Amino acid sequence: MDYKHKSIKELKEMLDKNEVTSEELFKEANTLAHSTEEGNYFVTIIDKYRKRAKEDTLINGIPYALKDNFSTSGILTTASSNILKDYVPVYDATVYKRLKDAGAVLVGKTTLDELAMGGTGTTAHTGIVFNPHDKKRLIGGSSAGSAAAVAAGIIPFAIGSDTGDSIRKPASFGGVVGFKPTYGRISRYGLFAFASSLDHVGLFSRNVEDTAIVTDIIKGNDPKDMTSLKDDNLCYLEHIHDSIKGRKLFYIKEIVDEEIYQDEDIKKTIRTFKELMEKLKKEGFLIEEASIDEKLLKAIYPVYMTISCAEATSNNANLTGIQFGSRKDGKDINEVMFNARTLGFSELIKRRFVLGSYILQKENQEKLFLNSLRVRRLIVDKINELFKEFDGMILPASGSVAPLITDDVKSEKLDPKATVLENHMAIANFGGFPSITLPMYYHNGLPVGVNLTGRVREDSLVLNMAQKIEDVIGIKNKVAGDDDV
Amino acid sequence: MYKVVIGLEVHCELETKSKNFSSAPNLFTMTPNINVATVDLGLPGILPVVNREACYKALKTAMALNCSNPSEIMFDRKNYFYPDLPKGYQITQVTKPMGVNGYLDILVNGKTKRVLIHQLHLEEDTASLEHNSNFSLIDYNRSGIPLIEIVTEPCIESAEEAVCFLEDLRDVFLFLDVSEAKSNYGQMRCDVNISLMKEGSNELGTKVEMKNINAFNSVRDAIEYEIKRQSEILDKGEKVVQETRRIGEDGKTYSMRKKVDAVDYKYFVEPNIPKIPLSKEYLDSIRKEIPMLKLERYKLYQEKYGLSEYDAGVLAKDKKISDYFNIVVENSNDSSIALNFVTTSVLSTLNKLSITIDEFPVKALSIAKLTSLVHDKKISLDHGKKILYKAIKEEKDPIDLIKEDHLEQINDEDKLLNIIKEVMDNNPEQVRQYVEDGNTFVYNYFVGQVMKTTKRQANPNMSLEIIKKELERRKSDGK
Amino acid sequence: MIEKEKLKDYAAKLMFGMEEEEYTTLQKEFDVILEQMEYIGKIPNIKDVEPMTFPFPLEEAHLREDEIGDYLTVDEVLSNVKHQVRDQVKVPKVVE
Repeated sequence: MDYKHKSIKELKEMLDKNEVTSEELFKEANTLAHSTEEGNYFVTIIDKYRKRAKEDTLINGIPYALKDNFSTSGILTTASSNILKDYVPVYDATVYKRLKDAGAVLVGKTTLDELAMGGTGTTAHTGIVFNPHDKKRLIGGSSAGSAAAVAAGIIPFAIGSDTGDSIRKPASFGGVVGFKPTYGRISRYGLFAFASSLDHVGLFSRNVEDTAIVTDIIKGNDPKDMTSLKDDNLCYLEHIHDSIKGRKLFYIKEIVDEEIYQDEDIKKTIRTFKELMEKLKKEGFLIEEASIDEKLLKAIYPVYMTISCAEATSNNANLTGIQFGSRKDGKDINEVMFNARTLGFSELIKRRFVLGSYILQKENQEKLFLNSLRVRRLIVDKINELFKEFDGMILPASGSVAPLITDDVKSEKLDPKATVLENHMAIANFGGFPSITLPMYYHNGLPVGVNLTGRVREDSLVLNMAQKIEDVIGIKNKVAGDDDV
Repeated sequence: MYKVVIGLEVHCELETKSKNFSSAPNLFTMTPNINVATVDLGLPGILPVVNREACYKALKTAMALNCSNPSEIMFDRKNYFYPDLPKGYQITQVTKPMGVNGYLDILVNGKTKRVLIHQLHLEEDTASLEHNSNFSLIDYNRSGIPLIEIVTEPCIESAEEAVCFLEDLRDVFLFLDVSEAKSNYGQMRCDVNISLMKEGSNELGTKVEMKNINAFNSVRDAIEYEIKRQSEILDKGEKVVQETRRIGEDGKTYSMRKKVDAVDYKYFVEPNIPKIPLSKEYLDSIRKEIPMLKLERYKLYQEKYGLSEYDAGVLAKDKKISDYFNIVVENSNDSSIALNFVTTSVLSTLNKLSITIDEFPVKALSIAKLTSLVHDKKISLDHGKKILYKAIKEEKDPIDLIKEDHLEQINDEDKLLNIIKEVMDNNPEQVRQYVEDGNTFVYNYFVGQVMKTTKRQANPNMSLEIIKKELERRKSDGK
Repeated sequence: MIEKEKLKDYAAKLMFGMEEEEYTTLQKEFDVILEQMEYIGKIPNIKDVEPMTFPFPLEEAHLREDEIGDYLTVDEVLSNVKHQVRDQVKVPKVVE
């Protein structure tokens, strides 16, 4: 059995025909997880198979992984931070509960950038997550382990979270599909908050159809999350092959202007992207270029940084080691909290918190925080205006292949030269838009993704269009090693 | 002399089944950590879900305090580190409180004083800390209990006004049924800001803050002590230090900490709670459910029913008793008899038996009927009372008792005349005393005999008139 | 450039300390972000825009009915607590 390349659908068929048991699939996944431990994909690998015979669903018996920032009762959940290195939750995140109820089998908890606050997959308390395509490269983050484990073929799908592009960027670097539906489509209850107004739950898989299958299971209203959408009562899988004839897409001219880039790899990505646009037009899509004020585009990165850091500093104020987490001694109560936080957080996290706290201070709020929230609206309004005419926005998910792991990358310093091309996917977090990354091409054996973003609440249409794009590109169910040089 | 300027911040826990942002029980208990949900413990991944009833009660209180309400419900985060605050932030309302710019009229020494309300907002209570000699213990039962905070303008001028306001505010909570406001359970607590300024001066004095005072008497003591303390400082030409003080067991206040930099709470909109629009219809429906408050009732009783200040005060003070009285008086045709029954018989019984009006066995409507019977002279006042006490004792309806015991008064003239004739025929000596000696003392004798014969059912006034006539008739017949 | 002392004070208020060279990195980061924010402030009519605190209006959001639902047992409450006494969390004496 070629487990690694099998889609959820194929595995389910094999299970139904008794060609394989769920336990055998689990063991396969578990063995793979252990054999790739040098990649640091998992914080926790589960070794004991626990069969959950429940209602018959399309994922019953299918192995999967959860990012280690989803609360799992009785299973260590660290958020890849020292301050939570021994934390065993007492309750289940809604997404975990739904997967459990649907019979999916948890294989492990995957590594992330500490507290999900990073984009490289290099800042976990357990170390760097390596790109399974090339161990010298990063996989991207923050859902690094989930992306890598799916890219490595260990599991057919994994759950992640996405605050700026934390699913969709590593999906690009891993050559897998990464999807975050509309804000509120999947409950956030049990997802350790990074920046609540930007946080989305989503997933990785190796083809669009599998993404639809899993989304159908985990989506839906949750009374425990006030921001959760009411049910749309749609089966995304049923609509995945609907006709896309006449669907209109736009790309942002200023981002994919080959002239402005020096880097040959980026130029190659942009040429490939433009060729893809031509192919899509032949398949029935209407595609136009749209122009957005560069002032707004350049604001994406700082706006993302300010809002996310501000919310994060508050969201993580519960981490004091008192009612849970790594408690430290101290002569008074403040010292107890101070020592727990000083020893519990890495430097990067502290820098982000100080920045976030500064942004929220009374004297800075207006200029830093509120202005960021205002630009957030301007950007979202502009995209929504375009969405009146277009069904989706399409752009490269990254300029090039996954970067090499260097000291510079690991320190994740705020980048004064951050390009819009590398940061535009945060737009979908600003506006809560459904957004999906899928593999576009391989460059020297390394994948680069394309990203499609649609209107709020139109998750089904985004998956439907993504399916067509995947058909046109013709890359799916690939795992690391297939094309590696 | 100095002008005293006092502002109050009153916290009151709302009575609900579940907490403000979680579905753990909102119950006072001495057993630690039994009413705690994931949200109340600030565990990673939790999300607040707002309690409808808490919003309803906060809005209702804001309306009763004449505040204007917002167009939508929204919450903000107040960020600070303290061991009783597990999330590291408190969910509260800064941008759009449940009510702003209201007032409460209170009576101080017979004069109406308007206390201006700056705002009323809904937030969550913190965990409670138990302090031991060298460590503290955290109990999260209280964490997340819905709490309203009412902030007055600095318009209170004496300890007496402050205490009156607190008492009346508590009565508002009780009248609205939003909280039991038990200060001994810490359900109602108060921060006091006080400063003194020179009479005639426009210059505000230095503000001293006193936090978390439970008992109203302590509020009085603290204010009185502060007025004295600050006056003495100012008299000496010295300056009052801006600081936070606490009240000691001895009624004196002690410095807790000098004012350092104002804490920056880094407020921002709570992102996990979407804005919930408040429709005019919804707000109107709440407004309709606000009962008449104490002061209005107090005035109404005097104006409409002519009650004395004292009686009006006694009745208006407790909503349930007042509601009871209202039913009696509105269904009786004699408000003074109604008042008499409620203030003497009902209230004294409550006292004697140590029961609440809810437990009082006789329904208000029955008392109303009883008082109407007395007014119509169907029964005597004396009888009415006796029946009422019997009804209380036997937990029966007094009207049924009247019927059962045939206790209804004999008001039939012919019937009474027959009885009286029989009585006189049986007492010729007393008739003779009247007929021959003109002795009118026999009137009372015959009334007594009639009452005895009829087991007190005869209408005494009518009987007396008939007795007079019959004696007169016999006198003329005898001539 | 923002003073290091200020940054140390901010960190202290967030209940943690940082190494000296970490503050140097942070100073540079502040430069980057503050410069970019300066640029954002120059977007025309920015002050007229209502700050966006939520991705989109969520009409279906509603309040929870006041019913008792899921909550934790004492053991669950205390399961991650290192120091406990009489079913409560023990901390050094809290003095205001």
